[in-house]
Amino acid sequence: MTALMQKMIETEKAFGILKRFSVLYAEWKIAKKPEQAARFAAKIGFPVAMKIISKKVVHKSDVGGVKVDLKNEKEVAAAFDEITKSAKEKIKAKPEGILVQKMESGREVIIGLKRDPQFGAVVMFGLGGVFVEVMKDVSFRIAPLTKDDCIEMIEEIKGYPILKGARGQASVNINALVKILMAVSSIGLKNKKITEIDLNPVIVNEKSAVVVDARIISEK
Amino acid sequence: MKAKKQDLEKLFSPSSIAVIGASRDPKSVGYGVLKSLVRGCVLSSEYCKSFPGKVYPVNPKADYVLGIKCYSQIKDVPGEVDLAVISVPAKVVPLVLKDCGKKKIPFAIIISAGFAEVGGEGEKLQNEVLKIAEKYGMRLVGPNCLGIIRPNKNLNASFAPTMPPEGPVGFISQSGALADSIIDWAVAERYGLSAVISYGNKADLDVHDFIEFLAADPQTKAIALYVEGLKDGNRFIEVCKKVSKTKPIIVLKAGRTSAGEKAISSHTGSLAGSYEIYKAAFRQAGVIQADTVEELFDLAKALAYQPPCRENAVAIVTNGGGCGVLCADSCEELGVNVVELKESTLKKLDKSGKMHPAYSRRNPLDIIGDALPERYEVAVNTLLDEDYIHGLIVIQTLQTMTDPKEDALRVIQAQKKFPGKPILCTYMGGLYSKQGGRLLEENDIPDFNDLKKAARAMKVLIERGRLLKKK
Repeated sequence: MTALMQKMIETEKAFGILKRFSVLYAEWKIAKKPEQAARFAAKIGFPVAMKIISKKVVHKSDVGGVKVDLKNEKEVAAAFDEITKSAKEKIKAKPEGILVQKMESGREVIIGLKRDPQFGAVVMFGLGGVFVEVMKDVSFRIAPLTKDDCIEMIEEIKGYPILKGARGQASVNINALVKILMAVSSIGLKNKKITEIDLNPVIVNEKSAVVVDARIISEK
Repeated sequence: MKAKKQDLEKLFSPSSIAVIGASRDPKSVGYGVLKSLVRGCVLSSEYCKSFPGKVYPVNPKADYVLGIKCYSQIKDVPGEVDLAVISVPAKVVPLVLKDCGKKKIPFAIIISAGFAEVGGEGEKLQNEVLKIAEKYGMRLVGPNCLGIIRPNKNLNASFAPTMPPEGPVGFISQSGALADSIIDWAVAERYGLSAVISYGNKADLDVHDFIEFLAADPQTKAIALYVEGLKDGNRFIEVCKKVSKTKPIIVLKAGRTSAGEKAISSHTGSLAGSYEIYKAAFRQAGVIQADTVEELFDLAKALAYQPPCRENAVAIVTNGGGCGVLCADSCEELGVNVVELKESTLKKLDKSGKMHPAYSRRNPLDIIGDALPERYEVAVNTLLDEDYIHGLIVIQTLQTMTDPKEDALRVIQAQKKFPGKPILCTYMGGLYSKQGGRLLEENDIPDFNDLKKAARAMKVLIERGRLLKKK
């Protein structure tokens, strides 16, 4: 299968798939205008993050398409204009919309899926951000996953003590991570056309694990 | 048909074998196969014995090979044939196989090369051969393989150089050449094998079929695999998951550094190299992974001869302080827990009156260089008798008063007294130490020539203990 035969599923649809498999995600809405963004932000509560929605953009932050930690309606409206302006300069196009999303706090992890020619659906777990990029501190299991498989793959990564709570910090909700891993395993087994999933980041804290960004790639 | 469990009994315990392509040329494969059967091997070793069943050479150009009457075609062979070993040129194989089918031979080992491994025409030829086998309900090993060997049945249906000693480790190898060298090594090291199975292109019978066979074989206590690639990964996981609950499986996988598929556009895609995924699959299936050929057989030996270590809590006995520390270092690096000795244990050691005044009083238990067999005996038995110690590594360095043989005997006696706890030894040295080491191994206690190897072997015995508790 070549990359040409694949496509990225739109953000809305990607979150729709997660919803069907009962995966929690950070509340979001796509705004078309600054006022609309500000209103929605006020409704879900501050701080919020904003991200560009555009088919032309692969890495949102490279085009100035991401703003985080916006604390009030004024900041949100200003961020909307800045992102739009930056998009016009860098991709010569108006964004299709701007996503406004509640900011969660906790540890960043990544949960993913890949289709392997030999073993079929393979699920990945790792610490997010720099840990996945630089350290490649990730673990894999072949779907279908059992609960034990999920716990093992979480414990297997080198950064596990960070999740478990180093230096007096409380442990994150491991069970909430297990639920997402099992859901990703099911998504992979039930949707054969999906070739890759990146839930990155998933924010996990003592209480819950919430998907912030979902990138799902499927066969055309 | 392939999903069902195979009854491979006649393949591995045939009463009659036809050697098709039995040549008079001593340099040919066919000659080697015939000689391996009728004499036990080509290069003689103390383990070579003639196959006790009937052997029928088939070759239209010869009347006799190695003094045995030759048949010009398989259909001329009188009576039933359980197994055909085929080494004729690839393009003649379909013809020969058809004759075998008509003769109702249930199993064939196709040694001949020139099939899927050369691509194109070879692949076509392999498909043709597979179709013939399916038509006649015949099961195939190979093509492009070394064959199979079962020392305890005096069965050497291969062109391997010689016959290895019999023992508890079953070896399944995707590479025939590696199997050849392992057999030669096994003879020199007296490493006991229950079977050597080279399965080549796996056109029909695949690695998981052989794993299932060895799982049911009472002589096999551990299964060692050399794998390059799998054809049916999910079936492999399924079979190994089941088998590893009763017998340990250890794998050496080639191609660990392959770049895998090209990254597409996600993190998961770029991080999931093919070996990473193999590693995950092995773990899920309860298969232990070795990094080198030597380690594969070291670990198989430990798992085949010693019981699993029920808890991660081991002790080290040594007559050399430095060696004890080196071993403890390796243990710690590998996550093997070298437990703290309780005061009550030290009291027992003190009370024995056998300890040197300067003995270490801690784990690793250094019983000092002048330790005689009695001191080893007290130390080993006292530690094994403690219910918080679940495994033991015994180190011996060679000093003037050291008695490797007698020390070995004391360890052997201790194992008989505490059969549920694993003992691994490192009798360090060469000529003289080895006399003790050999004695240990003859009595099923693995002796490693290196401290780290013993630590690594203890680690897998702990992993095995953990796995068995899971079910």
